[in-house]
Amino acid sequence: METEDDLCHNNWGSSSSKSREPGSSDGGNQTFAGFTSQQKWEDASILDYEMGVEPTLQVFDEMKASGQANVDFLQGVRAQAWDPRTMLSNLSFMEQKIHQLQDLVHLLVGRGGQVQGRQDELAAQQQQLITTDLTSIIIQLISTAGSLLPSVKHNMSTAPGPYTGQPGSALFPYAREANNVASQSQNNNNCGGQEFDLPKPVVVDERESHVVEEHEMKDEDDAEEGENLPPGSYEILQLEKEEILAPHTHFCTICGKGFKRDANLRMHMRGHGDEYKTAAALAKPNKESVPGSEPMLIKRYSCPFLGCKRNKEHKKFQPLKTILCVKNHYKRTHCDKSFTCSRCHTKKFSVIADLKTHEKHCGKNKWLCSCGTTFSRKDKLFGHIALFQGHTPAIPLEETKTSASTSAQRGSSEGGNNNQGMVGFNLGSASNANQETAQPGMTDGKISFEEPFSPMNFDTCNFGGFHEFPRLMFDDSESSFQMLIANACGFSPRNVGESVSDTSL
Amino acid sequence: MSTSPSILSVLSEDLLVRVYECLDQPCRKTWRLISKDFLRVDSLTRTTIRILRVEFLPTLLFKYPNLSSLDLSVCPKLDDDVVLRLALDGTVSTLGIKSLNLSRSTAVRARGLETLARMCHALERVDVSHCWGFGDREAAALSSATGLRELKMDKCLSLSDVGLARIVVGCSNLNKISLKWCMEISDLGIDLLCKICKGLKSLDVSYLKITNDSIRSIALLVKLEVLDMVSCPLIDDGGLQFLENGSPSLQEVDVTRCDRVSLSGLISIVRGHPDIQLLKASHCVSEVSGSFLKYIKGLKHLKTIWIDGAHVSDSSLVSLSSSCRSLMEIGLSRCVDVTDIGMISLARNCLNLKTLNLACCGFVTDVAISAVAQSCRNLGTLKLESCHLITEKGLQSLGCYSKLVQELDLTDCYGVNDRGLEYISKCSNLQRLKLGLCTNISDKGIFHIGSKCSKLLELDLYRCAGFGDDGLAALSRGCKSLNRLILSYCCELTDTGVEQIRQLELLSHLELRGLKNITGVGLAAIASGCKKLGYLDVKLCENIDDSGFWALAYFSKNLRQINLCNCSVSDTALCMLMSNLSRVQDVDLVHLSRVTVEGFEFALRACCNRLKKLKLLAPLRFLLSSELLETLHARGCRIRWD
Repeated sequence: METEDDLCHNNWGSSSSKSREPGSSDGGNQTFAGFTSQQKWEDASILDYEMGVEPTLQVFDEMKASGQANVDFLQGVRAQAWDPRTMLSNLSFMEQKIHQLQDLVHLLVGRGGQVQGRQDELAAQQQQLITTDLTSIIIQLISTAGSLLPSVKHNMSTAPGPYTGQPGSALFPYAREANNVASQSQNNNNCGGQEFDLPKPVVVDERESHVVEEHEMKDEDDAEEGENLPPGSYEILQLEKEEILAPHTHFCTICGKGFKRDANLRMHMRGHGDEYKTAAALAKPNKESVPGSEPMLIKRYSCPFLGCKRNKEHKKFQPLKTILCVKNHYKRTHCDKSFTCSRCHTKKFSVIADLKTHEKHCGKNKWLCSCGTTFSRKDKLFGHIALFQGHTPAIPLEETKTSASTSAQRGSSEGGNNNQGMVGFNLGSASNANQETAQPGMTDGKISFEEPFSPMNFDTCNFGGFHEFPRLMFDDSESSFQMLIANACGFSPRNVGESVSDTSL
Repeated sequence: MSTSPSILSVLSEDLLVRVYECLDQPCRKTWRLISKDFLRVDSLTRTTIRILRVEFLPTLLFKYPNLSSLDLSVCPKLDDDVVLRLALDGTVSTLGIKSLNLSRSTAVRARGLETLARMCHALERVDVSHCWGFGDREAAALSSATGLRELKMDKCLSLSDVGLARIVVGCSNLNKISLKWCMEISDLGIDLLCKICKGLKSLDVSYLKITNDSIRSIALLVKLEVLDMVSCPLIDDGGLQFLENGSPSLQEVDVTRCDRVSLSGLISIVRGHPDIQLLKASHCVSEVSGSFLKYIKGLKHLKTIWIDGAHVSDSSLVSLSSSCRSLMEIGLSRCVDVTDIGMISLARNCLNLKTLNLACCGFVTDVAISAVAQSCRNLGTLKLESCHLITEKGLQSLGCYSKLVQELDLTDCYGVNDRGLEYISKCSNLQRLKLGLCTNISDKGIFHIGSKCSKLLELDLYRCAGFGDDGLAALSRGCKSLNRLILSYCCELTDTGVEQIRQLELLSHLELRGLKNITGVGLAAIASGCKKLGYLDVKLCENIDDSGFWALAYFSKNLRQINLCNCSVSDTALCMLMSNLSRVQDVDLVHLSRVTVEGFEFALRACCNRLKKLKLLAPLRFLLSSELLETLHARGCRIRWD
């Protein structure tokens, strides 16, 4: 994010200084008049600020009508199809508007001499008026340029890098920004004649104290959960939805460029003249405050969403600590989750930092719950299970499936192997030897091996039978040797059948 | 003859049931074999059954409709297919079965277990201990038995937290679970167990690598009464402190061999639970201190205390016994400081003592034994292993006063001689007698035992080299109910004596290790007589020839475990044994000099579908066919390569 802003800032610096050279240094209308040059409009390969500027209310109306359009723009996934005719009409509208503004300024210049007494107040008012209009124009300009983005992206690959000095090469690398500006400006249009309410100074102050990376702070609104400030001990501020969703909170009063951080704005301001390069101008604003001045009341924030626990109207209102908390809270809780994980395609987020955090670990979640939720950590899974009744950990299936099938295969193949394997194995010699030497106790010694002592007779070693049970269901596997022994040893055959009652005890 | 059925038919069925209940087991068998009435009574009243031959299971289930407890732990051929076929058999009703024992049924896996769990809707108790291959999948299968209340999963080695979580979520009404040796279980699993199964009354977490965090979770179990945590190496006094304020119903705690637990941990348990009844802290406390005794004094209900291996001075034994007068069981083995003074005090104070373990208390003499015998008339179990100072005098008072003693362990007591045995034989209720390593006894002493101790069930004569065939003959004549007999290394014994063992028809466990003088004739006689033989150890009986093994193969249909190490069994005889002994599940076949590799292969192929445990020489691992080994493994057989 840092580099992105810097990049913009540099470009802005150079472009604005460039454009200022021919024009006058006073106000901003001439500067902006320079922007309207359309000479490179057709040349899509080097899109520039100057070229993209042609927004119209039509565009905004379209966007409003489509409803989703903003979101789509925010995603930066789908840009509106580029239509030269729309663009042309946009541009002509813009031209018209600029002319109006020009007229207004002319008027002011004409009046300037007449009303001397209240000049200071009036000048301030006029300036504000003009600034408002200009800002609106700029924003429209940017959004129009933003709609061209796919072609920009496409051409960027062939275009020279941002540091070659080509003004257009790195201008709008992120479509989202442009479109966010668009949405903001739309909001401004809605406000109609109201003052263009640039971000409140308070906001700037708050932001100043949190120069940490944005996604590192995302846990903030959970972290301050425990904060227990007595009501009234802090000042409650409530930002509007549009302000919350605006990508930038710091805007240049000269050129209108937006920034996420005021430090970046101050860096940018250096480009507008030497007066912004002084140490005092570059210092943190809240450090300028006199040490002896009365302590500022702590500021806490309220969510604009009615009925939310973070809304000041809520019975158990819990204020949010910082602007950033407000933003993240609002996006997470009251916005669509428009960022989908590119790996699992199931998890959705409304804060991009959350998506990035998730993507880092996506796929590594091996702890699976029966409800389909995955966890990267076992303790998280167990916490989940303890919380939700009926949920159980899922056991991965593939392991046994494969082993079962292999064992089945092995079983059947072994059945075949068995025959071949054992055929060559002849125990006859060994047993014959035994017959002679190892039966001294046998009086009759009539053990006959006439029947071939073949392994095949061992019906008990039925390997294939594990799964198919070719024989009786409950087979006692009384071997065929039974009788053989009985005869040979001279023991009278006993009734083996009584074993039922024997064993049932 | 014609009148006898009429006598029985006069009696109403409930009277018959009562009569039948009064009979002992062998009698019952006789009666139901000769009388249809009793057979009917038996089939109606029998609620528990233990089955050796799974092939009869459907018939038995049909014949005994009121069965509630089914023990399949000794069925060698129980596997998934048998279970599935049973499930498909429509005639079988398993609805009434509440208790299922599948201990060591390694061939039953997840599929079979799930089928069983679904078949038996009323299932409340399941024992799958020692099914070493069981893991999460089997646990998941078991979790479909939602009504489960008691579960024993000892030594299910692959069971992890995930499997436990399945069970916990599926069977949340559990009130008793044993997870001994389930080494994969961690704090997370125990924590979840304690969060969900709030009704748990008994928990066994012995040998688990759990930490104090688990104890913190366990302490939240309000109904927990019994907690066993033998040899939990990571638990220390800090963990036991959680128990002080938690688990208000706790009555029995076992912290034996918890290395990091010391007396202060025990004190915190005792302080929090004044009603505790059983405290086992063997081999974890080094000595019994005064502060501990102070708290012990408050335990009015303490019945059992084991402090084996601790330094217990006479004074502390005196104060312990004077404060816990209701003690019924005390374990003081290896408490080397115990002398007669302490024992006399114990005997005078704890008159209800039933079990006393004084193994390896070398300073205990006849005086202490006499005091115990005279005071504690209810004494049932007395263990005096390696108490070398005990002589016939002590045994004399035992014989005179301790008429109720059932178990007596005199292993390695030099002082025991024939006269001593004569005194002991007066304890007519004696059921278990251990005389191992008592070298001073001869036929004369054994004769006294044989003639008077007719209730004897177990007799251990390990390395009693002083007696011979006559003594054994006397035992075989007198102790007809003997079912466990250990004669290992009694070198004087020959075929003449061993043949007499065949009179012991109830014998199920016989160890004949190292009897060089016995031959096939002796073994054949035993095999033909002892039809219930389930365990036979003939290791190092080098002179038993094939004729003995052939007889064994023919007669010992119920043999489940056999040790043939160092025997001169031949290829043929081994094959015959392994194929004919259809119940054999556990075999030791080390150092069989006459058996070839082919012989092993052949014999093992014959029995590979029922073996659960096997011990072989390591080189055979590479000589036996891989198919055989894989099959054995697939059937859940555990091979130990020696």
